[in-house]
Amino acid sequence: MKIALKLAWRNLTGAGLRTWLNVLVLSFSFVVIIWLKGIMTGWDHQAKTDMTQWEIGGGQYWHESYDPYDPFTLAGSHAKLPSQLENAMKAGDLTGLLLTQGAIFPEGRMMSVVIKGLDPGQSILKLPSRKLGTTASAIPAIIGNMMAKHSKLKAGDYVTLRWRNANGTFDATDVLITDIFSSNVPAVDAGQIYIPLATLQEVMLLPDEISLIVLRDKTDGWNEIPGWKYKSKAELTKQVDEMIKTKSAGQTVLYFILLLLAMLAIFDTQVLSIFRRQKEIGTYVALGYTKQQVVGLFTVEGSMHAVLAALLSAAYGLPFLAWQAKAGWTMPVDTSEFGMAIAQTLYPVYSAGLVIGTVLTVTITTAIVSYLPARKIARMNPTDALRGKLQ
Amino acid sequence: MIKFLIKGLLRDKSRSRLPIMVVAIGVTLTVFMHAYITGFMGDTIEMNARFTTGHAKVMTRAYAEDASLLPNDLALMQIEELLDSLRSLYPDMSWSPRIQFGGLIDVPDSAGETRSQGTAIGWGLELIANQDELNRLDLQKALRSGHLPRKSGDALLSNSFAGKLGIAPGDEFTLISSTMNGGMAMYNFRLSGTVHFGVEIMDRGSIIADLKDVQLALEMENAAGEITGFSNTGFYDNNQAEKLSDSFNSKFKTDDEFSPVMLSLSQQGNMGQYVQMSEVWSAYVSLIFIFAMSLVLWNAGLLGGLRRYGEVGIRLAMGESKGHVYRSMIAESVFIGIAGSVTGTAAGLGFAWLLQTYGLDISGMMQGASLMMPTIIKARITPTDFYIGFFPGVISTVIGTLLSGIGIYRRQTAKLFKELEA
Amino acid sequence: MIRKFTKSALLLLLLALAEIATAQDGAAILEKVDANMSSDNRIFESSMTIHTKRGSRTITSKSWSEGNNKSFTEYLSPAAEKGTKMLKLEKQLWIYSPSTDRTIQLSGHMLRQSVMGSDLSYEDMMDDRKLNEIYSSEIKGQEKIGDRNTFVLLLTAKVEDAAYYTQKIWVDAERFVPLKQELYAKSGKLLKRMEMSNVIQVQGRWFPATVIYKDMLKQGDGTEFKITSIKFNQTIPPHLFTKASLKQ
Repeated sequence: MKIALKLAWRNLTGAGLRTWLNVLVLSFSFVVIIWLKGIMTGWDHQAKTDMTQWEIGGGQYWHESYDPYDPFTLAGSHAKLPSQLENAMKAGDLTGLLLTQGAIFPEGRMMSVVIKGLDPGQSILKLPSRKLGTTASAIPAIIGNMMAKHSKLKAGDYVTLRWRNANGTFDATDVLITDIFSSNVPAVDAGQIYIPLATLQEVMLLPDEISLIVLRDKTDGWNEIPGWKYKSKAELTKQVDEMIKTKSAGQTVLYFILLLLAMLAIFDTQVLSIFRRQKEIGTYVALGYTKQQVVGLFTVEGSMHAVLAALLSAAYGLPFLAWQAKAGWTMPVDTSEFGMAIAQTLYPVYSAGLVIGTVLTVTITTAIVSYLPARKIARMNPTDALRGKLQ
Repeated sequence: MIKFLIKGLLRDKSRSRLPIMVVAIGVTLTVFMHAYITGFMGDTIEMNARFTTGHAKVMTRAYAEDASLLPNDLALMQIEELLDSLRSLYPDMSWSPRIQFGGLIDVPDSAGETRSQGTAIGWGLELIANQDELNRLDLQKALRSGHLPRKSGDALLSNSFAGKLGIAPGDEFTLISSTMNGGMAMYNFRLSGTVHFGVEIMDRGSIIADLKDVQLALEMENAAGEITGFSNTGFYDNNQAEKLSDSFNSKFKTDDEFSPVMLSLSQQGNMGQYVQMSEVWSAYVSLIFIFAMSLVLWNAGLLGGLRRYGEVGIRLAMGESKGHVYRSMIAESVFIGIAGSVTGTAAGLGFAWLLQTYGLDISGMMQGASLMMPTIIKARITPTDFYIGFFPGVISTVIGTLLSGIGIYRRQTAKLFKELEA
Repeated sequence: MIRKFTKSALLLLLLALAEIATAQDGAAILEKVDANMSSDNRIFESSMTIHTKRGSRTITSKSWSEGNNKSFTEYLSPAAEKGTKMLKLEKQLWIYSPSTDRTIQLSGHMLRQSVMGSDLSYEDMMDDRKLNEIYSSEIKGQEKIGDRNTFVLLLTAKVEDAAYYTQKIWVDAERFVPLKQELYAKSGKLLKRMEMSNVIQVQGRWFPATVIYKDMLKQGDGTEFKITSIKFNQTIPPHLFTKASLKQ
C-alpha cells in the first residue's frame, strides 16, 4: 500500500498541469458544495432566528379562538393571563399581546389593519417597543417598513386609527408614528400597527386581556393550559423547513452535475493513463503484481486526485469559507419585500457533518470513477501490454 | 487544407472520437445545468404568475393601486373589446380575465334557510370556455372530491372549508358578496368538487367558479378585475414582459384612473426583487459551472495532445515542420471543439427539454409539505442555452491544445526514432 | 360682605339649578325629537343615492316598521335589487333575494358591512333604539342652521353598547326635528355627519325627508337618503314581520 501511494504520488506530480487541473476542478466542487449547503443552512438559521426574535419567541400560547388567517376571530380571542403563567410574566419570561381589527385612514383611504397592543417594556421580541413608551400628546405607534411603504407613512406622521371596543362602540384617534422598524419577517409587518398594550387594553375596555403570549424560551410542562393553544417553535417555523427543503432538493441536482463534471475529467485522465502506460502495466505484472493489485494501483492513483483536492480546498477554501461565515454573503438585490423571512446578508453555517460528508462523497465517487476504466487492465494480455501493442 | 484535416479527423476515430465525446459531455452538462438553474430559480416566479400576477396583468389604474383590497368597483369594463385588442396586438401571449372577490358562503337547510356560513375569498376564472386556466392552476391535481366545473352554476370550494360547512359535491350553496356597483350580490352555486392546494390561505376558505357565473353574480357583465397574460412559451421573460407593458401603456394608458394599465410580473408587489435575485443567482451558478467546465475541457485538450504524442513524432520524423504540426493540431482542436459543442448543445437541449416537459418530481423528498412550493422541478430552455456551451467547449479545448502543443517545439528530431522504436 | 356672600351663593345656586334645568331640557328636547321621529308604526318609500368613484346610483325601497324592533323592507329598483327583501326582528336580520330564492341570516361581523355600498352599515340601520334610551343629553347652546333656530344637544351614551359614544345634534327649536347630527368616537373624533333637509309635515309630525350621510374619515361624497312618501299609524298585517313573508 505504501508503495502504491508513493507510486501514485509520483505519477500524479509527474503529470503536472493535467493533475492540477483535475485537482482544481475537484477542489472547486468541494468548496462550492460546502458553501452552497452552508448558505442553505445559514438561511434556515437566519429565518428561524429572525422569526424567533421578531415574531414567535421561544414558542407561543394562542387564545383558543385566535386564528391568524381570520381577522374576524380577533374580536372574540382574548382572555386574562392564565394564572399558571403569572410568575413567568413577572420574571419577564413572557409577554402578552392583544390583537384587534381596525382601520387606518392615510389621506382618506381606508386600510384594514390588525392593531397589536405591545408592552413597551418587553424585551423578548426585537420590535422597538420602547418607542411606544415615549410620552406624546397622541398615542405612540410603530409600524414596519413594508406597512410604511404601503400606507406612505413616515416616522413623525399622524394617522387616524379607528377600531371598535369590546362593546362595539366606535373609537378613533390620531396616533403618532414614533418609529418605523425594518424586519425580515413579513408576518410582523404587513397590515399591522403596534400601540402600547395598556393603551389598547384601556380603549378596548379589556383590562389585562391578551390574545397571545410569546415565551422567551422553550418551556416544558406548560403545554396544557385550558383556553389556550400551545404552539411550539418547531410548529411555528414549519414553513421555513419546507422552503429550505425544496431549495435543497433543487440544489442537489446542481451538486450532482458539478460532480459529474469533475468525474468526467477524472475518467478521461484515467482512460489516457491506462492507454499510455501499457508497458508500465505489463512491467508490474512481470514483476509479480497480480492484475487486481495493478488495478488497485491505478485506482489509488485516481482517488488521490480527491485527496489532493481536499488538501487544496483546505488551503484556499477554508479561509474563503471562514471569511464568508464571518462577513456573510450579501445578496446583490434588495430583499426587504420578499414574502418570506430572508435577510439581505446570509451567513453560511457549516457543520462537521457537512464537510466530512462532502469530502467522503467526492472521494468515494472519485475512487469509483478511477476504478471503472482500470478494470480494463484485468483483461489485458500482459505480454502484449509489455510490448505496448494494445490499442 | 481544412478539408484534409477534417478528413483526417473523421477517418481516425482515435483522434476525434474520445475528445469530441468529452467535449460533448461537458457541453451537455453545461447547457443542461443552465436550463435547469433557470427553470429552478424561475419556479417560484411561475407559481406566483399562475396564481396571482400573471406574466403581465392588465387592471384599471385605480384597481392597481389598491389591488390587495380586491376593489371590484374599480374593475375593467368592456373587457371583450380589450381582450380583442390584446389578442390581436400581442398574439404570443394568452389572456385570461379573472375576478377576485370576497364574500360569504351560506349553506341552506331543507327550508332554504341558513344552516352554516363562512367567509371566503373567491376567484372567477374561465373554467368552462377553455382549458387554459384549469391547466395553469393544475386544478385537476388539486381536486379532492367531485369533478371540475362543467356547466354554469358549478363551483369548487376548498376541501376543508366544504367540510366545515358540512356540504358535499352536488349540494347547493349561496354566495353573498357585493356587486361591482356596491349592491348586494346573492348567487346560487352547486358544489361540483372540492380542492386542496396545500397553501393555508387558499385551503382555508376559497371558492373557485367560472368567470361567467361570477360576472353574473357580481353584476360584472363584460367586466373583470384583471386580465392576466401568460406567455405562450410558458415561461416568464422579464425583458419581454417589461417591453410588453411599456408598449401597452403607451397605447392605452391615459390620465383617467379607469384607463387600463399593464404591469409586468416584476412590476407587481415584490416580484421585481425576486426576479432580480433569481437572475443574479442563475448568473452566479452558471459562472461557477462554466469556470469548472473550462478547466475540465482544458484538461481534455491537454490529454488529447498527449494521446497523439506518437503521431506527432512520426510526422516530425517525416519532415513536417513543427509550426505546421502545431497549427494543424490547433485547427483540428477548433473542429473538435465545434463538433463537441454542437453535439453537446444538442444533447443538453434534449435533456433540458425532457426536464422542461416532464419535470423532476421531488415530492418524495418533500413529504408533509403544506406550503405552496413547487414539488416538480422543471428546466427552462432560454436562448442563452443555444450558445452558452460553446465558450467552454471551443475555447478551452483550443487552449488545452495550445498548451500541450508547445511540447512539440521541445522535441528533438534526434530522439524521435529512439522514441518510435520503443 | 354678607350681602355679597349671599349674592354669590345665590348665583351659584342659580347656576346649579340652570345646569339641572338644561339637562332636563335636553332630555325633554330629545323626547320631543324621539316622539317626532319614531312612531308605533310607519310605512315609507325612500330612495338612497350612493356616490362612488364611477358615478352614483339610486336604490328605491318600501319599508314597513312597527315599534323599534320590527321592520320589513322591499327593494323596488334598480332591476338588480328589485324584489330583495330584508326582515329585522329584534337583533336578527334576514335577507331574501328572489334570484336565488334564499333567505339568509346575517350575523356577527357581516352586520358591520355596508348596506348596498352606502356609508351605512346594517348595524347602523338596525339600531333603532330611541335616542333617549341610549343617550343622556345636555343643551350646549343655540345655533342657526340656514334660517332655522336650533338647540345644540350633546348626547353621551348611557348604555354600554352604543356604536357612537357621543353625538352632537342640532334640533330645530320649533319643529323638534334634527337638522344636523354628528357622531363621535369615544376619543372625541368626528366619525360621521348627517345633514337633514327638506323638512315636511306628515300627519302632524315634522320629518326630515332628506338625509345626507358622510363618513368623515373617508374621502367621498357620502350617501343621500330621501323619503319620498311616509305614513304613520297604519295597520300593518302582523304576518309581514315573519320569515314566511320574505318569500312572497
